[in-house]
Amino acid sequence: MPAKVNKQGFTKEEELLLQDFSRNVSTKSSALFYGNAFIVSAIPIWLFWRIHMIDLYSSMIPFLIVTALSTYLISMAYRNTKFLLKHKIANKREEAVTRELTKKLAEDKKMSRKEKDERILWQKNEVADFEATTFSIFYNNALFVAIIIFASFYLLRSFTPTVNYVLSVSTTAGLLALLSTGTQ
Amino acid sequence: MNSNVFLFVAFVLGACSACKSPEVTSTQFTTQDGTIVANIAYITEFSIKCASGVVGNLYASFEGNVVPVSVVGENQYQVSWSEDNKVARSGEKVVKIYDEVSYTAIRKALRAGEDTSAIASFVDVSVHHPGAFNGPWLKSEFLAAVLSVGIAYVAVSSRSKLAA
Repeated sequence: MPAKVNKQGFTKEEELLLQDFSRNVSTKSSALFYGNAFIVSAIPIWLFWRIHMIDLYSSMIPFLIVTALSTYLISMAYRNTKFLLKHKIANKREEAVTRELTKKLAEDKKMSRKEKDERILWQKNEVADFEATTFSIFYNNALFVAIIIFASFYLLRSFTPTVNYVLSVSTTAGLLALLSTGTQ
Repeated sequence: MNSNVFLFVAFVLGACSACKSPEVTSTQFTTQDGTIVANIAYITEFSIKCASGVVGNLYASFEGNVVPVSVVGENQYQVSWSEDNKVARSGEKVVKIYDEVSYTAIRKALRAGEDTSAIASFVDVSVHHPGAFNGPWLKSEFLAAVLSVGIAYVAVSSRSKLAA
């Protein structure tokens, strides 16, 4: 019996394999990315409001614009980093996932070999997706916070707080987005 | 003639009534927070109890300056001065207090350009300065930067491990 073929002409297995290399993100991880990017972009507002003594209300417009811009750029960095890492993580975790699932599915005599392979592929994809998503968030957040603190306290300290805020947050977010487009 | 006798009696009485074996009790204040001020203030307030006699005018000497001691109440005296925050050292500072007799000797020695340290003071009052707080040793932004760079290093190294 030929494998079920969907509209795009791929079998289910091929689709799963393709997902491994896909740049598309699920709605769930997209929401996670935007939510996280927003939180981490909004945190510098506190730093500049309480420590660098910017007046919160009179600088509302730069705060909003820079936070929105940085949310967009950081979520882009998240997506790119995730894409770069997902396949590599999938390769690294393949063996362990296969071992575990084979042990688990060994008792199930009814399941065909092909179905088992599909389950393993799906599980590997899930594991790699989750790990790449969380690691990408951690990696970009860590770099963002470190660069912001260094830039705002040392590199741009002679500027006025508002200029310092706009420059440090937007260039850091831009830098992360740029770095994430690399291939390594 | 009469007035001469009166002066003589007054002089003898005065000489007799100089304070003998004085005991000093003092309270003090020094600036503790050096972060918002440029000078450290030292204030000492003391009272003198004499076994016999009374205390006359007093003079205080520190760092080569001799100034009158201010009287702030009955048998209550006060000496205060300030030092630049950068040069103020912590520890004990001794203020020498002179009465009229030793003050005269000091003035004489100063006029003649002689050393005044040999002249015995009337009493000594010590002020203990524990040192002012000039801000933390490590600034908080430095700590924050070091911590965040440390976390970023962990992130970068684990990323390169994953991507290898």
